Order: sequence, then structure tokens, then C-alpha cells
Amino acid sequence: MYKYDAYDHALVRERIDEFRDQVERRLDGRLTEDQFKPLRLMNGVYLQLHAYMLRVAIPYGTVNAPQLRTLAHIARKYDKGYGHFTTRTNIQYNWPALVDIPDILEDLAKVEMHAIQTSGNCIRNVTADPFAGAAADEIEDSRPWAEIIRQWSTFHPEFTFLPRKFKIAVNGATSDRAGIQVHDIGLQIVTNAAGETGFEVWVGGGQGRTPRLGQKIRDFLQPEDLLSYLTAILRVYNQHGRRDNLYKARIKILVEALGAGEFGRQTEEEWAEIRESELKLPAGEIARIRAFFGAPSVKNPQPVPTSGKPGFTGWLRRNRRDHKVEGLSSVVISLKPVGGTPGDITDDQLDIVADIAERYGFDEARATPDQNLVLPHVRNADLETVWDRLVEAGLATANAGLATDIVSCPGLDYCNLANARSIPIAQAISNLVDAEGLAEPVGDVTIKIDGCINACGHHHVAHIGVLGVDKRGEEFYQITLGGAFGTDASIGGIVGKGLAGDDVPGAVVRVLKTYLDIRDEDERFIDTLRRVGPDAFKESIYAAA
Amino acid sequence: MLQLERNPKARTLVDAQIEAGGGRIVEIPGEADWREAAEQVRGAVQVDIRFASFKDGRGFSLAALLRERAGFTGKLRAVGDLIPDQALHLKRVGFDDVAPETTGLDADWARARARFTHAYQPAQDQRAPVFRHRQARPQDNLAALNARYRGMSAEEILRDAIENEWAGKIAVLSSFGAEAAVGLHMIAQIAPDTPVVFLDTGRLFAQTEQYQQALSEQLGLTNIRVLTPDSAEAAEEDHDDRLWQRDPDACCALRKVRPLDRAIGDYDALITGRKRFHGGERMALPVVERIDGRVRVNPLASWDAEAVNAYFKRFDLPRHPLSDMGYASIGCWPCTAPVQDDGDVRSGRWQGRDKTECGIHAPAQRIAAE
Amino acid sequence: MKAITANRLTDGRVIYRTAEGQWSTDLTEAERLDGETAEDRLARAEAEFGVAVGPYLIDIEADRPGGQKWRRESIRLTGPTTGSTHEPA
Repeated sequence: MYKYDAYDHALVRERIDEFRDQVERRLDGRLTEDQFKPLRLMNGVYLQLHAYMLRVAIPYGTVNAPQLRTLAHIARKYDKGYGHFTTRTNIQYNWPALVDIPDILEDLAKVEMHAIQTSGNCIRNVTADPFAGAAADEIEDSRPWAEIIRQWSTFHPEFTFLPRKFKIAVNGATSDRAGIQVHDIGLQIVTNAAGETGFEVWVGGGQGRTPRLGQKIRDFLQPEDLLSYLTAILRVYNQHGRRDNLYKARIKILVEALGAGEFGRQTEEEWAEIRESELKLPAGEIARIRAFFGAPSVKNPQPVPTSGKPGFTGWLRRNRRDHKVEGLSSVVISLKPVGGTPGDITDDQLDIVADIAERYGFDEARATPDQNLVLPHVRNADLETVWDRLVEAGLATANAGLATDIVSCPGLDYCNLANARSIPIAQAISNLVDAEGLAEPVGDVTIKIDGCINACGHHHVAHIGVLGVDKRGEEFYQITLGGAFGTDASIGGIVGKGLAGDDVPGAVVRVLKTYLDIRDEDERFIDTLRRVGPDAFKESIYAAA
Repeated sequence: MLQLERNPKARTLVDAQIEAGGGRIVEIPGEADWREAAEQVRGAVQVDIRFASFKDGRGFSLAALLRERAGFTGKLRAVGDLIPDQALHLKRVGFDDVAPETTGLDADWARARARFTHAYQPAQDQRAPVFRHRQARPQDNLAALNARYRGMSAEEILRDAIENEWAGKIAVLSSFGAEAAVGLHMIAQIAPDTPVVFLDTGRLFAQTEQYQQALSEQLGLTNIRVLTPDSAEAAEEDHDDRLWQRDPDACCALRKVRPLDRAIGDYDALITGRKRFHGGERMALPVVERIDGRVRVNPLASWDAEAVNAYFKRFDLPRHPLSDMGYASIGCWPCTAPVQDDGDVRSGRWQGRDKTECGIHAPAQRIAAE
Repeated sequence: MKAITANRLTDGRVIYRTAEGQWSTDLTEAERLDGETAEDRLARAEAEFGVAVGPYLIDIEADRPGGQKWRRESIRLTGPTTGSTHEPA
């Protein structure tokens, strides 16, 4: 993975000094809260219901063992012994003191980590396919490009005070695991007729109050033109994005208002002027960054085991993914134990994942948009040992992609913006689905829960989405059906009236049972839903239990 | 008015012009369309761009476009609601000066303006972006090496380093301490004539001196290169043998850092036995790094105490005599104590002081290894 | 009845305004305000600098948060309702 050189280190250290200075000026009154807020947000510092929250960046979801150990150390020393992985592959701490955060940033800097631009109206963490560099269906590793974009977008003088947040994703496989169509800019690596690789450019995707799928504005962008093209898009957005209404300020609103054609035209017009500039990436720098990424090689490749201790093969079946290198596999570390808080991890567990990654995983792990972790490279011969270690740590739930692999935002238990709790709903659904033995029979299905319309839990793009709302002091939950993240992306539709919290797990279970009743052989949940439409499922939701 | 120090000569000229009564000053709002603004500012000596709110970043694009596209060369000033933390961004998009609504914060503005030494992106301030700096420096392929060595065993890394990558120009740096036998045994299997650099500080435990001789003989290492402090320097700086007490950094410098510096020019790369589990500054240790222009190879970086012990057992290697007495890390006798906490193997070194490293593995200036 | 709440600047913890104009983490120590004095006291708290971030008014019934935002304010008072770390299997 990328290794900082003296320049990267210097920038991070100078940023820490800057933030320390900003905290000092806030404490002594030279900065008001209104002035301080955007500055602290751009260092990942939120003020939530009970405490500050620190969102640490995990660029394109990639971490190594020393970094995981530092994340454990931070949870232990400055927090309450746990952290939470997010749908944008960052990690959040819920209890740091503002006055401690500069020290936390120092600890992070020692292992080449930071909290830069993980919030605020600026360009945020660039995300990628969690299986990048390993996936069998990969065209090209998306992460060198994510790193290049990360550097270009860091402390960008022109784009630090955008109308609103800006999220970019890069995908390098034929299957979209990064969510290209639900990002402000989505970049899909493709090959052209001449066999060269370049980018398909999508703009204007996003969730929240007005979910929209992105629109393609360019079929093929040459790699060396990446930064000038992104600059052009950002420049159009910075100038013309709405600033009068917080809820209409994302680029998706602008793209919709202008139409993709006109937005593309304005972008290309600007781009034509800056294409041949300093922004053209030198081949040397592209090669330098590419050299940091790659898949390991294996002497004596072994086949994937077909037997082992009870539970091992079940875990392989659900959590293992094919690897492009013979003898290797990728595995999902589920952070969704039945009845647990999705995405949470303890300090001890972080240390254990670090050990496993270092010894058996070529020192690399990934965070995913589903709030799980991945070990991208594991020798087949080591799979059972890895599973043993995960079992000891409570991290071996064999439910990747199943109905108990639920995504949930922190909700009203933590978040200032929330209207309803989301975690207890996730826990209750998980418990009931498990009690009814439905997870395995149902197979692949995505369930995502949000505690407010900002949709950080991505309920819009879940097969079964749940959105908490507040009605005169009571929590109600709307169910959406038919959303999908990634390939064949779609936005879910609301099925009807909101349900009381207690009724939600039963309703979800009835939806899953309906699927089992009417599905064709080999049809996944989403396929059945798309084939027959939502009516049968709606009926089952509102049927008496 | 605060200077952003973008183009002092031009500013002086313009200021003179304005003072002399000539020259048009135009104020435009940050949200102005840049093409219309370009027309309005044609021929003006100074343009003020007004920021209605410091959070409204349109003024930054406007400034960049007036400079870049409209070719405006006059003085550009940012006025209105601005905070000092925007100083560098303002300068980089082409502003010469700021006149913020909130005054009296000159020191904050000055500090912010000087905050970042480098920038990742090209901008109006003509500062070379980081990737240009990187191109200018000779590239050596640490990244590729680390990628290649990832997943290789320590033995495989050593074999490649000794026989291939730095053949003939590589040595191993060994303290002949508690864990040293592991790496030395591996190297002895590959090439027993690999130079082994041993720093005889003059303050070693007698047991270390004995162990060094016995282990070298047992492993068949044929090329031990013993380095000692310069006697004239030692006489001058440590005439009373108490330098370790007065100034341990100076003592390490005299007895380890400088002797190593004198010999190091013979080699392009040094092998060390450092490991991440030693903690402290070693926590993020890569397998290959560069310190002061010279490569260090740390093939055992990912090894932990368990792995070390297993190796000792497997090959029945002799332990340093002090290992059994609770010494997990062994340096010179004045500054080495047994460890109290098994989890921190180096905690017996320079006990009671902040010092955790002798300095032979640190860069001369405090910049991270590239 | 109303009370004034905010978050503490240094560590973000939930605090309530006492009659003495101090801040406490204990809701029972919060000054109970009625309609008129509430706005007044709030303005005063907002104008102060140093301890609190973003003071606002909440409804209180007896010693508990009340009104439509009762759940949110209860969670602010007592913490997350869920166990936030799972137990290893």
C-alpha cells in the first residue's frame, strides 16, 4: 500500500499544527464556534449528542497492521474501547475530548493516518472496491487512482469551501463494488477498443433527501487527463452549485437542473482550457504510485480447502471470495454478529485483526461500504488458521451478504441529525431472522437502516431499506424495497405507512418469507422483487402477523 | 491590509499607482460570473473580490479564473467575511492581499500564510506541486522493493538482498544481543562471509563480548568487522568514563553513531534485526527503508517474540547469557537494565530517561525515511 | 417547564444550566424556567463565552426530559440505549 514520503509526512504534521492552533484559538475566543465549525469538520471532528465524534480517514478502505494497532490504541486510550466502521470506509470514535484530538492526530500521523477532510464542504475520502488488487474480476486496481485523487484533493485551495460535501468513488472491476452511481463523481475503469484503460465518468449520484443515480458524462477519459477533468467538474460545481438551500446544494441537484448534457458541455468547455496544463499527470508519478499497489505472489499455491472443523466450510462458503492469484483468497471479516451493533469493533478485536493481517494476510486489511472488514490476500493453506483466530475473537460470523449482515447508521443513539434510533432496529431484525433460521435459506439480500433522511446508512440502495422518522415524539419506520448498491444500481421505493419499531422485524421476516414462497430457482431476492414487483411484498408487510 | 506575499514587486508598483491617483479599483462579488467580471475588470489596477460569507467559496474560483483565463495581472484583493485560516488558499488562487472584516488578527493571518511548506496541486502561486519535486529527485524503488518483499519469508528477503539486490555492497549490523542469533543464523546459511558490523562501544557487558565471539564461531561467520570509537574523541569527551551519565545521547554518538558513520560508506545497504513489536518508533517499521540516503533492510520487521523464541528452539541456538536474567534487549552495561514488563522488550534501555533509541537508526535530520 | 442544555466545549459532554449560571452534567441541578425567563436566560447563556457550545431550550416534565424531543434528550442525558460493543462469541 502507499507509503508516505517526506512530503506526505510534512503535510500531515503541518495540518496537525494548524488544528492545534485552531483549537487554541477556539478555546481563547479568537474563533467563534461558527468560524471554528467548518475548520474542525475538515479535521473530522463532529459535535454529536453526547460528545465529540472523530472520523478517521481510511483512504480507499486500506489499512495495515501498525495502523490497526494504532486505531486500537486510540479506542483504548481516548475513547470507550471501541470504534465504528462507516459506509464510506472510515472509522469513527464517539467519545474523544476536543482537547485530546491534536494528540490523537499525532498518534495517527506516526502510522501515516489522519482525519483530513472526512467532513465539511470539501472533497471527502475517495473510496474504491474493497477487493481492489485481489478480485478475480478486476480490470485494474482502482486504488492508485484513489491515492492520486486523494493527494490532488487535499487542501485544494479552490475547492475547500464548496456548496456542500463532495464524494468520489473509483471502481476497477467489472462488477461495481464501490457504488459509482451513488457518488458525486463515480469513476469506472474501462478498456477502449485499442485495449487502453481509462475512465467512464459519472456525476450527480447521491442519497439523502433527494436520492439520485448518477449520469454518465464521458465514455472514456485518458488516465493522464484525470486531474484536469476532475478540476473542471469541481470548478463548474463550485461556481454554480446552489448555496441558498442546504438541501439543494449537492452536485446532483445542479446536474438535474442543467441536465446531464449541459452539465457535461460546461465541464468539457472548462476542461478544454486546462487539459494541457500542470494538471496533466506525468507518467513517472503515475508509475511511482502504482508501484505501491499490487497482489502478492504465492509459492506452492494450494487449492481452497473443502473440509475442516465444523463451521469452517460454512464460513468459507459465505465469506470467501475468489482471488486473481492462484493459491490466494479474499475473506470477509463480519462485524455483524447476530444482535450486535453493525460495524462496531473493540480495541482487542482491532489488535487481533492486526495480528492476523500481519501474519496471514500480507499485512493488509480493508474496510467495506457494508461496514465489514476484508482480508484481501490470504493463502488458501492458511484459511482455516485464520478462521480459528477469528472465531476466538468473535469475528467469524459466516453471514457476509446475508439478511443478518445489516448496515446501520449510528442513529439517534449517537447522532445529532437523527430522528429515530436505528441500531436497536438492526439488532432486533438480526435476532428475529436468526431465530427463524432464515438467513441461509434466503441467501443474498441487503438490509440497511437509517435514523434520518441523510441516509448515511444507505437505505435508499438496499434491497430492503428502513428509514426511521419521528412522528410527534414517537419513532416510526418506513420500509423501502428494491434499492441496490453497485452494479444495476437502483433507488428503493417506499411501500406505505410507517410501522412502529416493534413491528419492523416481523415485517422484514414476512418479506423474506414471501420471497422464499414465490422465488424461482436460483433467483436472488432482488431478482424476484424486480421480476414480480413490490405488491406481494407490500401486502406481507401490512398483513397481520 | 494584510499582505499575502504573492508578488511583492508588482504590489508596490500598483500601490504607487493608486497613491498617485491613477488606476481604477473595481469591487466585484465572489459569486460574479467570471466572464462578465473579466470584462468589468479590464484595465483596472486593483480588483476587490467580496466574500459575503467565509464559507462561500465562489470567490476562490473567481480569482483563479481571472488570473488563469482572463489574464488579469493587476492587484487582487479579498475583502469581506474571511478568516485567517484561509490565508494560504487565498494566496494560492491568486490574491495579493486581504482586507477582512474582522481586524486585529494579523499574527493569526501571518501564521496561517506560512503554515504549509508544500502543496500537492499546482495553483496560481507558481509553487511547484509535490509531484514535480518528486520527479526532480532521483527515484529509487523502495516502493517496488517493499511490494516485492511483501509476503516473502525473512530468509527469502535476506537471500535476495545479499545475493541479488545489493550483492557485494551489503552488511549486517548486529549488536549480538538478545535476539541477534536469529538473523545471523539465517545469514550464515546464505553467505557466511557477509560483513557483520559490530559496534564495540567499550562499554559492553563482558557477556556480550564472549557471546559475540562464541556465536560467530559457532555459526561460521567469517567477516566480523568490529568498529570502535575514535580514541582521541573518547579521551576528550569522556575522560572520566561518566559521559553516559551526563549526556547519554552524546555517549551514544561518540561510541555508536559516529563509528558507524565512518564505516557506512562502504555499503549501499545495511541489514538490521529491528522489529515492529519493539514498539515506540519501530511500530510502523517497513521491511525496506531509506535513512540519510542509505537503505536499511529489516527482514524480521513483522516477527514477534513468539516467532523469535520458536526459531531459537528450532535451531537450538545459544542464547545471550543475560537473556535468562530478564534482559530482553541488551546494549551497553551502564544503560541497560532487566525489563519489568514483558510486553515492552526495550523498556530496560535507558530506564528512567525519555531516550528509547541510541540514534544509529535515525536520520541525521528529523525527516521520516522516504 | 424548560431548561437550558448545551455541550461542553472541551469534551463535548452534555451539560445543563444551573440557577447560578454554572453548568452541570446533572439534569436535576438544572434551573427550571418558565416561558418568559427561558428566552432571557438562553440569550445570556449564548452571549457567554467559554464553557458551552450551542445552548438551547428543552422541555422538562418533573425531572425528566419531556415534550416531543423527549427521547432525544433522554438519550443525551443517559447515553446510547444499545450495548455498543458486542461480546465475543
